[in-house]
Amino acid sequence: MTAATMLAPLEITLPKAPVGAWFEAAITWVQLTFKPAFDAIGEVIGASVDTLAGLLTEPSAAQLTVLAAAIVAFGLVRRGRPRPAALAVAVWLVLAVAEGAAGVAALAIQNLPAPLFLWAMGLFGADYVDPQLVLALLLLAALVATSLAATRSAAQWRLAGGSSAALLALFVAQHILGVQPALLVMLLFTALALAVAGWRLAVFALLGFLLIISMDKWEAAMSSLALILVATAVAVVISVPIGILAAYNDRASRVVKPVLDFMQTLPAFVYLIPAISFFGVGQVPGIIATVIFAMPPGVRLTELGIRQVDKELIEAGEAFGAPDLQILRRIQLPLALATIMAGVNQVIMLSLSMVVIAGMVGAGGLGNDVYTGIARSDVALGFEGGIAVVVLAIFLDRLTGAVTRFSPAARAQRAAR
Amino acid sequence: MPAVRAEKLYKVFGKRASRAVELLSDGRHRDEIRQLNVTAAVIDVSFEVRAGEIFVVMGLSGSGKSTLIRMLNGLLEPTSGTVEIDGTDITRLSGAALRQVRSRKISMVFQHFALFPHRSVLENAAYGLEVRGVPREERLEKARHSLGLVGLAGWEDRLPQQLSGGMQQRVGLARALAADTDIILMDEAFSALDPLIRRDMQTQLLELQASLGKTIVFITHDLNEAMRLGDRICVLRDGRVAQIGTAEEILNDPANDYVAQFVEDVDRTRVLTASSVMEPPIPVIDPGHGPRTALRTMRENQTVSAFVVRRNRQLVGAVREDAIGEAVRTGATDLAGLVDTAVERVHPDTAVADLFHQAAESPYPLAVVDDDGRLVGVIPRVTLLAALAPPSTESPEPAESPEAPESPEPAESPEDADQATSPPASGALAGSDEGSRQ
Ligand SMILES: Nc1ncnc2c1ncn2[C@@H]1O[C@H](COP(=O)(O)OP(=O)(O)OP(=O)(O)O)[C@@H](O)[C@H]1O
Ligand SMILES: [Mg+2]
Repeated sequence: MTAATMLAPLEITLPKAPVGAWFEAAITWVQLTFKPAFDAIGEVIGASVDTLAGLLTEPSAAQLTVLAAAIVAFGLVRRGRPRPAALAVAVWLVLAVAEGAAGVAALAIQNLPAPLFLWAMGLFGADYVDPQLVLALLLLAALVATSLAATRSAAQWRLAGGSSAALLALFVAQHILGVQPALLVMLLFTALALAVAGWRLAVFALLGFLLIISMDKWEAAMSSLALILVATAVAVVISVPIGILAAYNDRASRVVKPVLDFMQTLPAFVYLIPAISFFGVGQVPGIIATVIFAMPPGVRLTELGIRQVDKELIEAGEAFGAPDLQILRRIQLPLALATIMAGVNQVIMLSLSMVVIAGMVGAGGLGNDVYTGIARSDVALGFEGGIAVVVLAIFLDRLTGAVTRFSPAARAQRAAR
Repeated sequence: MPAVRAEKLYKVFGKRASRAVELLSDGRHRDEIRQLNVTAAVIDVSFEVRAGEIFVVMGLSGSGKSTLIRMLNGLLEPTSGTVEIDGTDITRLSGAALRQVRSRKISMVFQHFALFPHRSVLENAAYGLEVRGVPREERLEKARHSLGLVGLAGWEDRLPQQLSGGMQQRVGLARALAADTDIILMDEAFSALDPLIRRDMQTQLLELQASLGKTIVFITHDLNEAMRLGDRICVLRDGRVAQIGTAEEILNDPANDYVAQFVEDVDRTRVLTASSVMEPPIPVIDPGHGPRTALRTMRENQTVSAFVVRRNRQLVGAVREDAIGEAVRTGATDLAGLVDTAVERVHPDTAVADLFHQAAESPYPLAVVDDDGRLVGVIPRVTLLAALAPPSTESPEPAESPEAPESPEPAESPEDADQATSPPASGALAGSDEGSRQ
């Protein structure tokens, strides 16, 4: 018998660290203290997702008109006329908000004994001649007029004319021929794919979205798409500035990196718990959890893209006396854009992967289908939801990938060849 | 007022920089302060750059050239010392005021061009004016003009990557010219180009500088380039100034063994000019004197020929002893008909390499005549040959060893400062194949 075996087993009892309890206490405290802020954020996010989902599933005439107006305005900005475009959009925004809040335009329209108005009501039915549509049409008309009067660019004229004609065609198809909105939106996606990424993706979009429609998953898919787009937008708005900060400041970078690692490795479900306690059940906590989970590559690739820009180019900017902000805007961001877009692409892909998880907290959409499929062992339902997610994923991936090719740095690289 | 003045500049990288400066100003070598964990890149450098000159900073890799030039426009802040641009001490300026100086007074050309790949050649060239807020049309017009100056008209709409290296650096030069600053800093601007293009660019830079009168601080590690371009040259060694002077001064009178060894294998005939090898014109003969006086003057000086020069030093021609002796025997009373006016005349700035041919043709020494026709010196053939040999170095010590018994470096600096303020040599050096620069 050796001495060692005779010793009683040494048991060191560590005090139990109440990490979970602390976390919960912190969550409760934050929830109570910032309740109004959370409510407001939830309100805004919820409203944007609803609007976007509405636009994607059943676009109203007003929304389509605003979309056409936005395309024309974008063209004006690119051709060096940002001021009239901004003015028109600002006036419209004020009127649209005033209408939404107080029905100002409706009042004005009702007081107009306009025969034109009555004729339009007769043609489309009173439902479609809503005040917002009138405002949107006025905006479009103003922008088209500006395009014709203030630019001498034939491309801009074509853009204005083409958008207006396409809008008219959509109206005719939807309200006179009675084509389903889903098919129209699908056609819009196909056109977008054709314009940005070429015919291969256009064919894919056509077939893929037809499949989704025929699986009867269109509404779920559009609801998920809306969720993804809003989550991506929020994630980009937050992550790009953080990435810029981290690129500029080594200390910030050292702080941000482990936080990002933490955010990315923590199981995504864990975000759902505080998100639900802050925002309740539904789409909003799903989006918040998605934003947190999907943000890291946005930050990382923004930082990387900006740090990658040749030091000598920054030095050249400095040597000619450019202020830091100008160097950022005119040298670093354009040259980092391709990398930043790769980050945005990653953000979108991660958001997609969160779709199913968000479905668990009642975010609806495809996630809901997949989740229900799992819960009920309904293979068919789950698989159809999964296929729809894959179609969305490929479409979004290729589309953002193609956008990258338009970045200045990528153009420069092509020129070098 | 000098265009650029650097006064006791130090740049030490690392945390304990100010302690390092104290040690360095006591004369320690930069390798001796390594244990402070600092890198001393520039040590006690003082010089002045005059408006309109090309001032070349030359040194081996790591000698602190880039660090020095970046302190001149405030891209790097000196650890100690001052930099004055047109009399303003830029080390005291705040961010905005410093940017103002950079955009209005100093522009820069970079070793690897540093052109913006996402902008067209024209937009690149217009960048300096864009930063300054000049309206688009106006700045593009000026950029187009400066692209024309560097011979790139017609390439405005290309992207930089579509151009060859030499052309890219011309865009870099055009960008600096379009910014319309009096001072241009060039950090190894031609080092990335291959030799033939490089020579072209040097020639073009000299031409541009002659017509635009910019003040240029040019950095190079290539001695031949330094000699060719520089009105004055500052040789850096391990962060300290080894010597400042004209190309001739550095060739003929190296301040220490390091510089001497450095200049050993320069093609001296391309760097040295007539004015740096010529000898005083003795004897000269006044055209009013008679043959007797002339003969006596020549005999006293033991020469077989002499130049005939008016009171105002205007060169008339030359006479030979045998012809004069003949005239004295025949009783001639003046020099009429005896003066040979077809003597070879050379300009003080002509490169020595271009003198050999004329010297071989002429029975007289070469007459060095300035722009006003005055005789400033003579070059006998013997002198020409002697100029080819490097000055004999007295010390047999190898120049590389830091313990070499050369004068301790701190003691050098007052002397360097002297050289910096001495008047420029009568003629700038000739370097280009075409001969004189003026
Ligand atoms: N930011 C920095 N931090 C630390 N050390 C530096 C820094 N920049 C330069 N140095 C050091 O300072 C010294 C001088 O560098 P500098 O770049 O000025 O040399 P150079 O003469 O331009 O050389 P080259 O011909 O290689 O360009 C080198 O030893 C270099 O390692
Ligand atoms: Mg360097």
